[in-house]
Amino acid sequence: MAELRYDSGPGVGGMDGPAEPLPADPGAPGAGGPAEDPGTGLLDRAHALLAAHPVADGYSGLPWALRHLPWFDLELGESAVATDVPRMRQGHVGALFWALHLPEGLTGDRAVSATLEQLDLVKTVVRAHPDGLRLGCAPGPVTDVRHCGRIAVLPGPAGAAALGDSLGILRSLHGLGLRALTLSGASWASEAGLTRFGEEVLREMNRLGMLADLSGASADTLRRACAVSKAPLLCARSAARALRPHPANLPDDLLAALGAAKGLCLVPLTAEQTGPSVRDVADHLGHVREVAGAHSVGLSGTYDAGSAHPQELADASCYPRLIAELLRRGWSDTDIALLTWENVQRVLREADFTAREAQRRREPSTLTIAALDG
Amino acid sequence: MSSLEAARDLLREFPVADGHNDLPWALREQVRYDLGARDIAADQGAHLHTDIPRLRAGGVGAQYWSVYVRSDYAGDQAVSATLEQIDCVRQLLDRYPADLRAALTAADMEAARAEGRIASLMGAEGGHSIADSLATLRALYALGVRYMTLTHNDNIAWADSATDEPRVGGLSAFGRAVVREMNREGMLVDLSHVAATTMRDALDTTAAPVIFSHSSSRAVCDHPRNIPDDVLERLPANGGVAMVTFVPKFVLQAAVDWTAAADENMRARGFHHLDTTAEAMKAHRAFEESTPRPVATPATVADHLDHMREVAGIDHLGIGGDYDGTAFTPDGLSDVSAYPNLLAELLDRGWSRPDLAKLTWQNAVRVLGAAEDVARGLRTTRGPSNATIGELDG
Repeated sequence: MAELRYDSGPGVGGMDGPAEPLPADPGAPGAGGPAEDPGTGLLDRAHALLAAHPVADGYSGLPWALRHLPWFDLELGESAVATDVPRMRQGHVGALFWALHLPEGLTGDRAVSATLEQLDLVKTVVRAHPDGLRLGCAPGPVTDVRHCGRIAVLPGPAGAAALGDSLGILRSLHGLGLRALTLSGASWASEAGLTRFGEEVLREMNRLGMLADLSGASADTLRRACAVSKAPLLCARSAARALRPHPANLPDDLLAALGAAKGLCLVPLTAEQTGPSVRDVADHLGHVREVAGAHSVGLSGTYDAGSAHPQELADASCYPRLIAELLRRGWSDTDIALLTWENVQRVLREADFTAREAQRRREPSTLTIAALDG
Repeated sequence: MSSLEAARDLLREFPVADGHNDLPWALREQVRYDLGARDIAADQGAHLHTDIPRLRAGGVGAQYWSVYVRSDYAGDQAVSATLEQIDCVRQLLDRYPADLRAALTAADMEAARAEGRIASLMGAEGGHSIADSLATLRALYALGVRYMTLTHNDNIAWADSATDEPRVGGLSAFGRAVVREMNREGMLVDLSHVAATTMRDALDTTAAPVIFSHSSSRAVCDHPRNIPDDVLERLPANGGVAMVTFVPKFVLQAAVDWTAAADENMRARGFHHLDTTAEAMKAHRAFEESTPRPVATPATVADHLDHMREVAGIDHLGIGGDYDGTAFTPDGLSDVSAYPNLLAELLDRGWSRPDLAKLTWQNAVRVLGAAEDVARGLRTTRGPSNATIGELDG
């Protein structure tokens, strides 16, 4: 019965539909809207597909955004942010990563403490919204949360600085629920690539089942990570550099390498990285699917992270419009299911399997950055 | 049956739940957490006070492993190091599952006892470990830390230490908020190491029983690390537990005086009294040769327990050996295998078996359970606090 929560069949669009004009609305501005009217039929199909295969959103900046609000209620709806439970339900969001990235300049031990505070905030917020949200820290629990009709929140990614250069701290953060870490912004994961300690961090992440996010990492880091990691890699916020030059967007060779390594490129819905319209986002999704493969493309709403969004994709309720556009372009139901939900689940499962295997073969590493990087 | 046999027999039923052991710090300092280099399943008598065979021989059934970090670690550095210490305990639990069992509750302690495993709990030693953040306090709780000593040897911004100059005069407003948040989480407030003013402020503030994880009686031996009688007298009303410690320089007046003279000797030669460099140790050894170190015994510790029992009552006593946290130990209590010697001494003094069961096990289990009960109540009435030291202490 929980499935009903995602259900939004024909005829209830008026209740469930977004406040902004639907793509089908002839009043929609030509610049942002699809070239052809996808019709309510496509939008209904999008809703139906998403009801079965909800969105697993790879990046939300909500924790930091909430930190500065004196009061909020995500279950009733919260206009100060772009993500709340009613809009996630409209958008069929079934799971999302809550990024713990810190402002620039927080490094060293300060970054460790600030990350603990962020993790505490995530738990407090999730506990305060028990009807909408639930922590889902492993693939099984993510599915369970969905079956309970709740939205699974996965803490992460945090920045590499959160580790304070210590594998013991990495394990403690994992113990507190952290499930993804971005490999950039530390001495061991810089423009120059991964150092020996950086590789050890990645191996320890494999052992724990923590996902590695390579968005914003250098090409050398990404290539080395593909070689070292036994679990699939994420690029939590990367679109196609071939379509739009942005430092976090991936050139085709890296997209192909990521696809070959069964990794996952999560395309952000930001005007800066993908362009100003739904069609632009669809172009990027199409390109990534073509170069990396249908098993290596996913979605990253990137809401509440300080970025401008394409028209008609202003908040977490807007995913059906994007899916309608993909249907109009002839994406199969299978590819859409992979895009929205299944690819992320696969990566979570494989990371979990890898961890179980690794834990049998490998002791927790106590190597230090001083020992490895000198 | 000799009293030592009777002590061992008692410990089989009611093992020792010890309040403080610094094995994690010893592992950090000695081998940088390379647990393979100090396999505690084997005899580590050459390096440590603690290993599993000796814990077993000593009748230990529960241990608060201290996740202590140095109190001169500044701010967030202490937090980071505490996370590494917690990771060390978790690794010990993973490594020795047949002997150690993770314990987060009083019920876990009893389950461990029933299985014949050693319940392993964690205690943070000093409020510096949370760097003035209630969120970080909750993170430590979430990672399994079940008590926090409010200070270590140095004052912190919100609480005075017993071994530093008075500054706040007990607990500041933020310090009281920390105590209330600990109550709400179910983390025991540990008043070892803190100034008597801080003890009294904490007792005025707390809604849950407190502990002293490793402190003895100030009336018996006048050292600031020990508990004054007026504070011990408050334990029955509070429900708390004072866990007697063995450290000679806290429990034996002659050792207190000797330590003061030894420290003075170091300072006179231009060293800090805790300096452990080769030159400093040479100066220290020279002093030790000319002035023999007074020796404490199980009877010394029993003197404390007799007095504490008179003042606080049998329901408010426990044991906190501070093994691997102190260089010197009493003769007859030289490592974690020696607890039966203390119990034998108490049996000889006429302590009954039910009394000893309270001392070794029951009081420690009760106090954690009581903290859990208080937390369950408080969590329904108020949410987590994010008060800051800036807001409260200005």
